[in-house]
Parts: sequence; structure tokens; C-alpha cells
Amino acid sequence: MAPLTCTKLSVITITGIVTQIIGLSVFVFGFFPVKPALPGTSGSESFFAPACDFVGNLSDTTLPSDQLQSLYQELSGIPPSFDRLILMVIDGLPAEFVLGKNEKPPKKQFKEAMPYTQSLLVSGSAIGYHAKAAPPTVTMPRLKAMVSGAIGGFLDVAFNFNTQAMMDDNLLGQFFRIGWKMVMLGDETWIKLFPRLFKRHDGVSSFYVKDTVQVDQNVSRHLRDELSKDDWNLLILHYLGLDHVGHIDGRSSVLMAPKLKEMDEVVKLIHSSIIQSQINRPGRPLLMIVSDHGMTENGNHGGSTYEETDSLVLFIGLRNHIFEYASVINQIDIAPTLALLFGVPIPKNNVGVLIREAFDSLKEDQHLRALELNAWQLLRLLHAQLSGLPCRNLPCDAFYDHQSSSSSECNHTTENMLCCLYMEAAALYTSWKSKRGFESASNKDYSRTTSAYYKFLKSASEWLSRRTTDKPVKLLALGLATLFISSVILSSLMFCWLREIYHGGKQQTSNLNDRMNGWSFDETFIVSAVLILVTCMTSSSMVEEEHYTWYFLISTFYLLLLRKTAQSLSAVGLQSSFLMQKGQSGEGFFRICCIFLLLISGRILRGWHQGGVNWTSLPDISKWLEQAGSQYVKPLQLISAVLVISIGLFALFSIETKGKYFQMVRLSFLISGLLVLLHITRYQDYAFSSTNYGATFLVQIIYAILGAVTIGTVVALPWLIPLSTSKIFPADNTIASPIFPSIQEKFPLVELRDSLYVVGWAYILCWCLLQLLLQQPINTTPVLLLLLQIVAGVHYFVRSGTHHKEWVEIAGFYYLGMAGHFSLGNSNTLATIDVAGAFIGISNHSTFLSGILMFIITYASPMFILLSLVMYISTKSMAHLVIPEKANAGDLLMMLLGFPCLVPLVLNSILLTAYTVVLLLMQNHLFVWSVFSPKYLYVCATTVCTLIGVFIVAATGFYTYFVLAMRKEKACSS
Amino acid sequence: MKEELAKSSQSTISSFQVFLIHVCCGLALAVGFWVARNVYSINLIFDPTTTLRLIWAVEFPVVILLFSYFRQKPEKCSYLKAIARGLLGLPVGVLLNVLGALALGAPAGLQYFERTASWSLLMSSLTFVPTACVYGSCWTDWHRIFACTKPKGPLDFMLCLPAHGAVIGAWFGAWPMPLDWERPWQDWPICVSYGAMAGYVAGMVGSLGLALMHTGGKQLKAE
Repeated sequence: MAPLTCTKLSVITITGIVTQIIGLSVFVFGFFPVKPALPGTSGSESFFAPACDFVGNLSDTTLPSDQLQSLYQELSGIPPSFDRLILMVIDGLPAEFVLGKNEKPPKKQFKEAMPYTQSLLVSGSAIGYHAKAAPPTVTMPRLKAMVSGAIGGFLDVAFNFNTQAMMDDNLLGQFFRIGWKMVMLGDETWIKLFPRLFKRHDGVSSFYVKDTVQVDQNVSRHLRDELSKDDWNLLILHYLGLDHVGHIDGRSSVLMAPKLKEMDEVVKLIHSSIIQSQINRPGRPLLMIVSDHGMTENGNHGGSTYEETDSLVLFIGLRNHIFEYASVINQIDIAPTLALLFGVPIPKNNVGVLIREAFDSLKEDQHLRALELNAWQLLRLLHAQLSGLPCRNLPCDAFYDHQSSSSSECNHTTENMLCCLYMEAAALYTSWKSKRGFESASNKDYSRTTSAYYKFLKSASEWLSRRTTDKPVKLLALGLATLFISSVILSSLMFCWLREIYHGGKQQTSNLNDRMNGWSFDETFIVSAVLILVTCMTSSSMVEEEHYTWYFLISTFYLLLLRKTAQSLSAVGLQSSFLMQKGQSGEGFFRICCIFLLLISGRILRGWHQGGVNWTSLPDISKWLEQAGSQYVKPLQLISAVLVISIGLFALFSIETKGKYFQMVRLSFLISGLLVLLHITRYQDYAFSSTNYGATFLVQIIYAILGAVTIGTVVALPWLIPLSTSKIFPADNTIASPIFPSIQEKFPLVELRDSLYVVGWAYILCWCLLQLLLQQPINTTPVLLLLLQIVAGVHYFVRSGTHHKEWVEIAGFYYLGMAGHFSLGNSNTLATIDVAGAFIGISNHSTFLSGILMFIITYASPMFILLSLVMYISTKSMAHLVIPEKANAGDLLMMLLGFPCLVPLVLNSILLTAYTVVLLLMQNHLFVWSVFSPKYLYVCATTVCTLIGVFIVAATGFYTYFVLAMRKEKACSS
Repeated sequence: MKEELAKSSQSTISSFQVFLIHVCCGLALAVGFWVARNVYSINLIFDPTTTLRLIWAVEFPVVILLFSYFRQKPEKCSYLKAIARGLLGLPVGVLLNVLGALALGAPAGLQYFERTASWSLLMSSLTFVPTACVYGSCWTDWHRIFACTKPKGPLDFMLCLPAHGAVIGAWFGAWPMPLDWERPWQDWPICVSYGAMAGYVAGMVGSLGLALMHTGGKQLKAE
């Protein structure tokens, strides 16, 4: 194989990166389909055909509730069949328990446990359905689906995990608008979803899963009281006990039958009170018993198996029907059915279809009108998702020729098919309306019209819901394959190169160190760490507690470094080290001190935040400090900030080169450091500093100075740094080498080293100051500790020379960055993202800017590591890297930048690909929504972070080198 | 010739002796468990501190008495001196093990101090004390066995492999700790102790095997 050149290496790397980006975007696009949702809520415009631009809907919002109610009634033309609704939610009850499965009756024990409900079913006064719930079969998304009729996409669920209140158009909001009074007893999820909507509520927490009795007693204790009152229109009862029974023992628990019996008692109580009240009171109440999801044999839920998605819908109070067996509907069908039964507009993003039997008691024209309203609503939604829907230009009066749309056209594209089905139904409806007055045979027309409507509704609903739940398998496979190819490209490139350096060029390397050829313990560890990480990703609790893995790996790595240092301490070295201050033993001691610094600071960082999910309540340093009060936090923060700034400035001052330009760089960093300190002392005390004009202005000044200085340094330094004559600094031992002068003649090594050092520290200092400004006060000390770790690590690796291979060192840094990521309080749940910090220094709301700030805060540590690689490059000795005789610029650059760019890319791409596979495998896992999908978002963001960081490193290296080489050439020729 | 000279300077040990020592150490662990379970009716899960100390109290005397017998340069160093070296080595080993465990993330709170200390006592007598008895404070030997892991001869195997086995076993034993299985044995240092002891036993088996191979190889050569 031909030896790698710089151009080849960079071309292949860029190919790998581009493949990765393409693969990732294809996968993300396939996995997280973005569903256009209609904003706002349905009003009176929903009673008109969609094509007619209805202008009067603004007046809806201003109308008082009772007028709105009568307006809706007048417009819809359907008198409400019921005036009160009792919605009884039994959490986790599979419909199989009540209705049986596959046209067979339920198990005997369950049937006997619910005698009253079964008798209602047999007598026909109750109608039961198997309601198919969409995954994720978890309570909150299911409740949302029931009241809005919409199926949330993957991203909706991921991003709405923390934002609790339901903002979309939903039934409860519609009821509230027409002035309904609502009462809620049971699971407090309802209160979180709909704060301020309930007149009275008594929430119970679903937190204590072990409790199966008290949760339900807390609901039932108000029941008699509430049933006797008549000041409410909607009563929601949400019983959690059955779900808890399932979680404890599964479907066949001994507690299941008593629990069902208890539920049956509640049904009996409610139903008898309804029957009694009907004698005393006008109006008809409807009792509806639903379950939000089913459960597996073990009692778990969340996935998409039949057992989990088989939920129950039971109407009690409709006209009597006797069915042999229960039919299957979708859970989302509840929303439009209830909306039209109670005379409110169907929620805007509803995908459900009216339940046929619920409208049987209506007159024919009312039933058709209800179907028409449902069809219009779905058509609006179709318009939003399919811009090219041909039936857009419908005449407003809906009088068109029956003959114009023949059924033969109904089988081309989806658009045409849906549109044609709608036209057919609408045409049939129109002709039915025109014939109704004088033809007696309209019964046949009526059934034709309803079946046409249902055909359209069913296919539209199916198509719409498939858009949100179905994953395009081809797209996913393509994305995954592309990701895989990219990680193969990158890792095989690195492997080839490693072989070339350490084995192909044996003549050069063997004289450096014999150990270079062996496969040593720390290298094995670095490689096996990747395998361990990949293995850990497959377990949901290891994903939740990922920080433990990183901490454990990084501290093991430090201990291995310690062992390696001990190896190099020869017996003589140890004995004489107490006497000698210089020489190898002194170096060894310095390295041991570095490792101890790494170990100690790493341990403190680990104890700073108790992250993850399960052990967050355990004590940690940050909680301890916050309890101790701000009189301890503040000084600690100030000391840390001062130390960070002084370490950075000291490093900048430690370079010997003098010149006005250097002084300016130092001065401006000093100024911005002082400004940051000023901000910390003056403004961070106020909880809402973002509203303070002075604070915002100060922060903006700091942003400006930092940005200007850093970019200025990077751009201008290579031009301004004085070119050295060929003399070498005698005190410098990192470059001291016999072959050095010949290289220095050809390449501007000293200048390159110096400018990379200054630029690297400028990056580090700029990043640290940003973090001091943006992070929470409690995180200031971790920033200091991270800086210490980087400094100690770089010094350790510099002093140990060629003991470690470069890729091991960089991989170690990468691991350090990931461990630091968690020690700043981050975790794999979206809840730990610091949103408050994202508004510091932003005067007007901008999602883009606060997004960038949020990224800076969250990815502080990995980015920090990548930026500090510039400084790390400058400290490595460069002389031995190139072969003096045939060296060219490409080789030098490749040796300089190759590993610092390639190693993070390879590690990240392996982890990304592995996690993508895990996500695909886990897409039906119980925790795919709560654990795996947020983690995937983090993995994607880490990829972005790595790409940006590597780009900065590579760009800085290339730019600095080429500017210096050009200047050198000019200086030589002149 | 040189090799043999080097060997003769080391106190020799036959594979039967290795077997005997390993069986005794292993038995001591088992006896420790048995006593804890049947005499005091405690176990590692419900009372880790006492159980660990009990196991240590059985294991430590066995280890120190057995290994002191194979001390290096027996003509210069009496049996009692070797025992004293082992006794001195114990606190040093405890300190190193505590520091190592803390660095790897053992809980640092005071309420865990007793557990950490008891665990370190046991770990020290599994890893540190045998070498202290045999080699004393000779840096070259320590360097060879622990830093470079280049043991030569059955005696070195006997010191090196079980010690490394115990440490690596403890390292692997820590992995279930963060999982949310809510099992009592996930507490510090229960599963770590189990891992350490399993690793120790595995190390003993390995060392025995190597010792057998070593002598077998030598016999073959002699033939």
C-alpha cells in the first residue's frame, strides 16, 4: 500500500466526515419524522367547509362561554346528546380483561370479578371496544392522545417530556371554553397537563408504585360526594391501582381480581347514581370507562405489543346495543366522538374517526352532518401535510356534479385517492340532501353516504397516523449503513496509519523507544474502554447512569498511567531521587505528582454532582455547599475564578517572546477576566440578572472583547510573531535534538510551536471565561478542576515523552472530556440542561442565540478538551516526528495534526454508530422514550461538538503553518 | 548456568508447596465464610463490615504464617522478621487500597469509612501482605512483580497472580453497583468483595497452573 500523504489523509478524513453527516441526517430524518401540526384551536370555522376562508373566527374568543355554546350548537346542527360526562380512567387495564380476546370471552376469574360491568355488557346498555393505543404506551402521551386525537411524533414526546402543560387544541380546553365546570380525582398527571382548568381536584401521585390500595381509596373517597353534586359537567376519575398491581406482579397477580372487583363496585356506584339522578334531573349523563394502555404479561408497558396497546373504551348510557363481540377502534377516536356528542368543535390536530355506534341514536341528517364535520376537520389536516392536495379548490357551497368524480380515478396517488374518496362522499351527501324531502327510498342512499364517509375517514385517519408512527425502514437502513461506512472509513484509516508509523517506519522509531512496538497495557485499555462503553449503551440503567462508566474508566486510566510511571522508575532512580533534583528521577516524581493531581481533581469532580437518575438524592458536594449557604459558595466561586484567570494569564506570560502584540493579547485577556470577576461579584447575586440592563450590557461587552481578542489572536499571530534566526533556545529540552537545526532551516518549527501555544491558551482562556460567566455559580470550581486536569495531563504527557503513543494520550483526553461533561451536572435526561444560563447577555429573545449559549454551557467540557488540543500539539516535541532527509510540509502537518483530529473523530463515530444500532434495536423498549431517545439527542449533539472542535483544531493548525511557511520563504528569499 | 544461579539465590519452591499454600489460602477464605454464616450467623450482605473483618481475621494469620515461611534469603532474615514485615506491610497495603478505592469512586462519606477500612484490610492481606512477607521492602522485586508484571519462577507467580486477580476481580465487581436492580448486594463494598475473592481464587488457580507448567518444562529439559 502506498504511504499515506497529508492530502490523502485529509481527503479520506473529510470523506468520512461527510459520509457521517449524511448518514446521521438521513437516520435522524427517518427516525424523527417532523409532522406539521396546525396551530391554534378549532372555533366556529370548523363548522364550515375548509376551502371557504372563514373570517369571523376572531369573534369566537371574545364571546362569553354560554353564547359560544349556543353558537356552536346552532352552527353544527347537532343537538348535544348528553350534558354531563363522567370519564373513568383505569390506568393500565387491558381490554382483554373485560371484553376477551379474539371473539372469546375474558378469563373466568376476570369475568367473575366484574359482575356488574359484565351484566351491563350483556344487557347492551354498555358498548365496549378494543381501543388500539399508539406507542409510547405511557400515561401522559396516551392521555394527550385521548383528549386531542393527535398522535405525537418521536420528537414531540422527547421535547415535551419536561414541559408539562398541554398547549395543543384539546377536548378539555374546548369544554372549558364553553363554560363547563370540571372536577378531577386521581392521577395528578391531569393536573400537570391542564393546570387551572379544574374547578376542584384531588391529585394522587403515581410515584409510590408499591401502593395499590391507598391510591384508589384517595379517589373513591370523594366519589359519593361529587356524584350528589350537580355543579360539574365533567368528572374525571383516574384510578392508578390496577397499573401498580401490574407493575408489582404482572397480569396474573393475585391482587388483580380484587382490584377489578373494586373497579366494578365503582362502576356500579356511578351507574346507579346516574339512573337515580335521571329521575330527578333533566339531561343525560354519559359514563365512559377507558384505560390509557394495556400491560404485558409482566405488567410493564411503554412498547407496542398487542398486550400493551390493547386498551379499553366502554360507553355506558348510549342507546342499547347488543354485540356478539367487541370491535376494534383507535384510542384517538375518542376525541372526535366526544367532541361531537357534546357539541364542541373537533380539536384541530385530531386524526381520529367518529365511533359509529355512538351516533346511532341521532337522526339521519344529524349523523351525516357529524360525519361531514369530521371529514372537514381531517381534510384541513390533510391540506397542512399534503400541499398538493388536488381537491383544494372546492366550491364553498359544495354543490357539484355527482358525475364529475367517478370511482375509477380513486386509485392513483395517495393524494388523488384521498381526495377522490372525499369528493365521492361529499357528492353523495349533497344528493342525499336534495332527495331527502321527497323520496322515500333515501334509506339506501343514506347507508351509501355513511359508508362513503367512513371509507374516506378511515383511510385519511390511517394515512395521517401512519405518517407519525411508521418509520421508513429503507431510510433508516440507509442512514445506518452510511454511518457504518463512515466509521469503517475513519477507523481503518487510523489503523492503517498507526501501522505505518509504528511498524512500517521501524528504522526510525526503534531507536526512540523499544516499547513503541509492543501493544502495551494502556493501549489495550483504551481500546477495551470503547467496547465497554458500547456494551453499556445497551442497558437502559447504564445509559441513565452513564457517568459512572466514564468516571470509572478515566480513573482506571489514571491508575494505569501511575503504574506505567512506576515501571519507568528504575530501582536506582528511586533511591537516588531523594538526593538528586534533576534527571530522570526528578522527572518521574514530577509525573507522579501530575497523576496525583489528576486523580484527586478527578475524584472531587466525580463527587461534585450526583448525576443520573437513580442516585440523585445521595449527598454530593454541590448540594452540601448550597445547603451551607451563599456565604460559602460565593468565596469559593471567586477564588476559583481568580485561580482560573491567573493560571491562564500565567501560561500566557510564561512564553518568552516579547513584543507589543503579545502584551496586547495578555492585557485584553486580563481586562476581560476582570470584567468577568466584576460580573460575578456584582450581578450574579440576583436571581434574574438577565432582566438587569447593566448586567446584560456588561456581558455583551465581555462577549465582544473575548470574541475579538480570540479571533484576532488566531488570525494575526502567525503574521506578527517574530521569525527566529536559526538559533535554538538552549534551555528548551523538548526540541533539543541533533537533527533539529536542519529541520528548523526548512520549517518554521519554533514559531509554529510558539504561536500554537499562544493560540491554544487564547482558546482555553476564552472558553474558561465564557464558562465562568455562563455556568451556574456552583460549577465554577469544576471549571477550575477541569483546567487543572488539562494542565496536569498535558504536562504529564510532555514529560513522559514517548512512553505513551500519541493516540493513547488523545483518547485519554477525550475520555477526560466526557467524564468532565457529567461532572458539570449533565446527564442523559433532557432535564439537566441549564436553560436559565442560556439567556445571559441576550437583550431580546432569540432562539438561535440562546440555543448557542445552551450548547456552550452543556458541552463545556468536551469542547474544552478539543480546544486545548491546540495547546497540547504545541507542547509535543516535533523534531522526531519528521524524517529530515525527505521531509516535506505535508508530512509535518500530518504528524502534527493527524492524531489530534483523527482520534476524537474515530472514537465519536464508533460510539455514534453503535448507539444508532442500539436505538434501532430498542425502538420497542419500554424506556425508548424516556431513556434512549434523549440519549440519542445527546449523542448527536456530541457529534456536532466533536466536528466543530476538530474543525477548529485543524483549521488553526493549517492556517498557522501556511502563514508561517510563507513568511519564512519570503524571509529566506529576500 | 546464570539462570540457575539466579534461581538458587531465590528460595526455591516446588509445585506441591504452591498447591498447598493456595489450598490453605482458599480454605481460609471458605472457613471465614463458614464461620460467619454458621457461628455468628451473619453474611456479607447484611453486615458487610463484621463479615469482612471476620474473613480477614481467618485469612490474615494463614497468609502471613504461610508466606513468611518462603521469605527471601532465609539465612539473613529470620521467620519472625518476615512475620514482622508482613505485619508492617498490612497498614501500608490498607492505605494504598483505600486510596485506590477512593480514586476509583468508593463513597467517601464517614458512614462508609468502616466498610472501606474492613474491605481494605482483606484486600491488603490478599494483595500486599504476601509480597511484604517474602520480599520485604526490596524495591527491585516489588517493581518487577507489581509495576512490570514480569514474574519469574513459581514464587513470583504465587505472589503476583492472586494479587492481580484480586484487584482486577474487584474492578469488575464494581460494575453492577450503579445499576437500578435494587438488590442489597449492590452496596459498597459487597459485590466488590465478591469480585475480589473470585479474582483471587482465579489467580491462585492460574498461578498453580503456571507453577505446574514451569516444573513440567524443567523436567522435560532435564530429560
